[in-house]
Amino acid sequence: MADWKELEAKSFYEATARERAIGMVDEGTWTELAGPKDRLTSPHLPVLGEAVEFDDGVVTGVGLVGKHPVFVASQEGKFIGGAVGEVHGAKIVGAFLLANQVYDKIMAECPDEIEERRPAVVISFETGGVRLHESNAGLLAHAEFMDQIQGSKGKFPVFAVIGSKVGAFGGMGFVAAATDVIIMNTYGRLGLTGPEVIEQEMGKAEFDSADKALVYRTTGARHKYIMRDANYLVEDTIGAFHDCIGEVMDLGYAAIEKMRRIGNEELVDEQLALAELSVELHPKDSRDVWAYYGNENPEQLTEITTAEFLATAKRRP
Amino acid sequence: MTTATTKVWDTLLRDAKERLADAQPYVKEGKVVAAEDAVKLLEAVIRPGDKVNIEGDNQKQADFLAECLCKVDPAKVHDLHMVQSVLSLSSHMDIFEKGIAKKVDFSFSGPQGGRLAEFVNEGKIELGSIHTYLELYGRYYMDLTPRVALCVGYQADKNGNLYTGFNTEDTPVIAEATKFRQGIVIAQVNEIVDELPRIDIPGDWVDFVIQSPKPFYCEPLFTRDPALITDSQILRAMMVIKGIYAEYGIQRLNHGVGFDTAAIELLLPTYGEELGLKGKICNRFILNPHPCLIPAIESGWVESIHSFGGEIGMDKYVKARPDVFFIGPDGDMRSNRCYSQMAGHYAIDCFIGGTLQIDKYGNSSTATATRIAGFGGAPNMGCDAKGRRHATGAWTKCGEEYAMGPELYGDMPRGKRLVVQLQETFREKLAPGFVDQLDAVKLQKTANLDIPPVMIYSDDLTHIVTEEGIAYLHKCGSMAEKMAAIRAVAGFTKVGLEEDPAETEKLREKGIFKTAEDLGVDVSKANRNLLAAKTVHDLVDWSGGLYNPPAKFRNW
Repeated sequence: MADWKELEAKSFYEATARERAIGMVDEGTWTELAGPKDRLTSPHLPVLGEAVEFDDGVVTGVGLVGKHPVFVASQEGKFIGGAVGEVHGAKIVGAFLLANQVYDKIMAECPDEIEERRPAVVISFETGGVRLHESNAGLLAHAEFMDQIQGSKGKFPVFAVIGSKVGAFGGMGFVAAATDVIIMNTYGRLGLTGPEVIEQEMGKAEFDSADKALVYRTTGARHKYIMRDANYLVEDTIGAFHDCIGEVMDLGYAAIEKMRRIGNEELVDEQLALAELSVELHPKDSRDVWAYYGNENPEQLTEITTAEFLATAKRRP
Repeated sequence: MTTATTKVWDTLLRDAKERLADAQPYVKEGKVVAAEDAVKLLEAVIRPGDKVNIEGDNQKQADFLAECLCKVDPAKVHDLHMVQSVLSLSSHMDIFEKGIAKKVDFSFSGPQGGRLAEFVNEGKIELGSIHTYLELYGRYYMDLTPRVALCVGYQADKNGNLYTGFNTEDTPVIAEATKFRQGIVIAQVNEIVDELPRIDIPGDWVDFVIQSPKPFYCEPLFTRDPALITDSQILRAMMVIKGIYAEYGIQRLNHGVGFDTAAIELLLPTYGEELGLKGKICNRFILNPHPCLIPAIESGWVESIHSFGGEIGMDKYVKARPDVFFIGPDGDMRSNRCYSQMAGHYAIDCFIGGTLQIDKYGNSSTATATRIAGFGGAPNMGCDAKGRRHATGAWTKCGEEYAMGPELYGDMPRGKRLVVQLQETFREKLAPGFVDQLDAVKLQKTANLDIPPVMIYSDDLTHIVTEEGIAYLHKCGSMAEKMAAIRAVAGFTKVGLEEDPAETEKLREKGIFKTAEDLGVDVSKANRNLLAAKTVHDLVDWSGGLYNPPAKFRNW
C-alpha cells in the first residue's frame, strides 16, 4: 500500500500525533480508542473560554507489532503545547489499564507465549507537562502515569518515543525518564525545566534560550544518546521508530529491563556518580562532556548526519 | 562706515573645524579614538539641538555608539533631533528618557513601537514624521541633514577608510549627506586593520573610527525557519504562483519578509517546476539574501538579486554565487539599502507581502492602537511608481486590466505595478485580518499623528490573497465593486460576513474573484510535502554547507 509506505517514510518530526500513533504499529492493525468521535473533551477549558479538541490533544489506540499488542498514546503539540489535562491524562492511563488486562489475559490463557505476545505501551511525547488551565488534574495524571509505569514492572515494557517539535519537558520529562526504553530522533529534546524558564530564573548568562544550538546540544537527542539518557537514536522517519520498537521487543523482556536508567540501587549509584563527576568536571558546555568521553571533535558531532554520528560518537561507558 | 559687509559663506565648515579641534585630545593615531574615550568624543563634537543620526536599520546597528550617546552628560548634550532609519534598540529610546534627545524623524521602530507610543503620550518625545526609508534618505538631502552621524562597519584603517562589506546597507547615504554638508562622521568598527579588503566609504568622509568592544549587533530578520510554515501558507503560496506569478509572468519582484513569502520561495523548485514556470517567473529579485530562496537559486531559477542588507550566515553562500548577487572586486557582496529601495520603487513589477490589517476599502497597515511601528521600505515598493516610464509584460498587462484607468487618464496606454497583500482571514489569537476601520486611525488620535499610518493605500493595492482565494482589485470599476471583492476574500471576519453570495458570483464571472478551484489549484496538495526544504538544516544541505545559520535557528 503506497499510503503506508509514505507514512513510514514520513518525517517523525513533521508528523501529527495521529500519524505517529498509526505508524508505531504494523500496517492495518491500528484501532483508535476514545477517539474524536467519542468527543471526550476537557470540562475545564470552556469555563476559561478556551477551545476544546475532541481528542483532548492525545491520540490513543492499539495495534500490533509482530504478535505484540501495542497500546499507543501520542501527544499533539499543536493543541496547547501537548499539555496534560484531565481527559488527556485519563486516556493515557486507560492505555496502561488495557495493557494490564491484556497481559493478565495472556498469562491466564497462554502463559507459554508471553515472550512473543507480551504487550507494550508506547508514549509519543510532545509536551511541556501539566496543562496550567487544569493543573491539579494534570498533576494528578502525572502521578498516575508514574504509578502505572511502576505497576508495569515485571509485566510489559513502556517505551518513550521522542522527536516532535515541542519535545518532552516539565513533569512529562520525569515520566519519560521513568520508562523502560527511550527512543529519539535527532530533533528530539528531553528535559525537566524548559529552556525559557531556566533563562528566566537563572539569567541569560546561565542559559540563553534564544541560542537554539545551545538548547539542542544540552537537551537534544545527541547529548542524551551520548549520556545514555536515551537508549536509541534513530533516523527521523516514522518507520525508523516503528522498526526500533519491533527490534527491541524481539530482544526479550530480560534485555529490556536492563535498559532502564533508574529503578534499582545500582542505577541510583550510577546517577550519583554522574552528579559527582559533573561537580568535578565543571563543564561549561555539553561539548566538554562529549570530549571527556573521548570524542575528539565535539563541535563536529552536531554537524554530521545521524548515520555518521551513530558510527563515530563515543558514549558514556 | 564701510558699505560692503562681508557675508560669511562657510559657517558650517568653521563650526565643523571647531568641533574637530575640541575632539583632538581623544584622537590617538590617524583618526582612531579608543572605545573608552567614545563618550567624551561625543560630548566634544555634538552640540545641543544638533540633528544626529545613529545608523541602524532592521539588520545592522551602531549599537556601541548608541550606548555611548546614552552616557553623555545631558547638561552638555541635550535637545538633539534624531534623524535615523529605526528606533529598535532600547538605547535608541533611552536617549529620550535621559533628556539627551527630544525630537525624532524615523521610518521604523519594530520592537520599540510600544515604548515609543508611551513616550509620545507622556510628552517625552516630539514626533516629527514617520517615513519610508527612501523618503527619509531624501530628506537627509533636503531639510534633515545630520550634523553628526554615528555609523557602523566591519573594519576601518587608521585613515578612516571603512569596510562595510556584506552589510553596507545605509552607510553610504548617511555618510555622504553628513560629510558633504560639513558634518561629523564617526564610525564604530569591529576591528581596525592595516589593510581593508576594499574601501566602501572613503576615509576623507570619516572623521573618527572606534573599535567597539563587541562586534556590532545584527538581526537575522529575514530568516524564516521552514519548519514553521503552515499548510494554509502553502495554499496561499500555490495560489500566488498560479494565479498571479504565472498569470502575469512576474519576472522582477520583491518579497516582503514573512512566512507567506518564504513558502512561495520554497515552492518554486517543486510546484513552480511542476507548472513549467522556470525561466518565466521570479528571475530577478530586490531582496535580502533570504535563506529560504537557496533551493530556488540552486535549482537555477534566479538570475540576479540586489540586496538592501546582508543576512547573518549567508555571506559565504552569497560570495560563492557571484553570478546571482552583487559582488565587489574583493569577492564579497555589497548591499545598499538606498539603491535597493530605488530599484524596488522603479524597477520591480510586483511587490508581495503580508500585513496585520486590511480595511473594507483595501487600505492596509501593520500599526496597532498602542504601537507606533512604521513600515521601513514596504510603502516604497508597495505602491505604483508614478514616475515609471519603462514597460514590461507584467506591468503592461496589469495596466490594461486597470478598470479605473480610463477615468483617470482616458484611453492612454499605461502600465501598473502589481501590489499584492497576503492575508490570513484570522491571524494569531483570532485577530481578524479584515476590519471595518484600521487601528491606525485610533493610533493617529492616541499618538497625535498628522495622518493615520497606512502602509499600503487602497488605490495602489491590486491583489489580496487569502485562503478563500484571490481578489483582483484593480479590475474593479468602482469602490463599491472593490469593497465587494474584499468581502469575498475576507472569510468569516465581520467584513467577510457582509458578503452577498450573488454579488460574489458576479465577481467570479468577471474574473475579479477567483477561488483555489477557479485557479485550478489542488487544495489536497497544499501541505508541507510540497516544500523544497522543511527545516533550516535542509537549507544548509541545499547550500552545500555554505549557509551557516545563526545559533537561534540551529535545531541541532
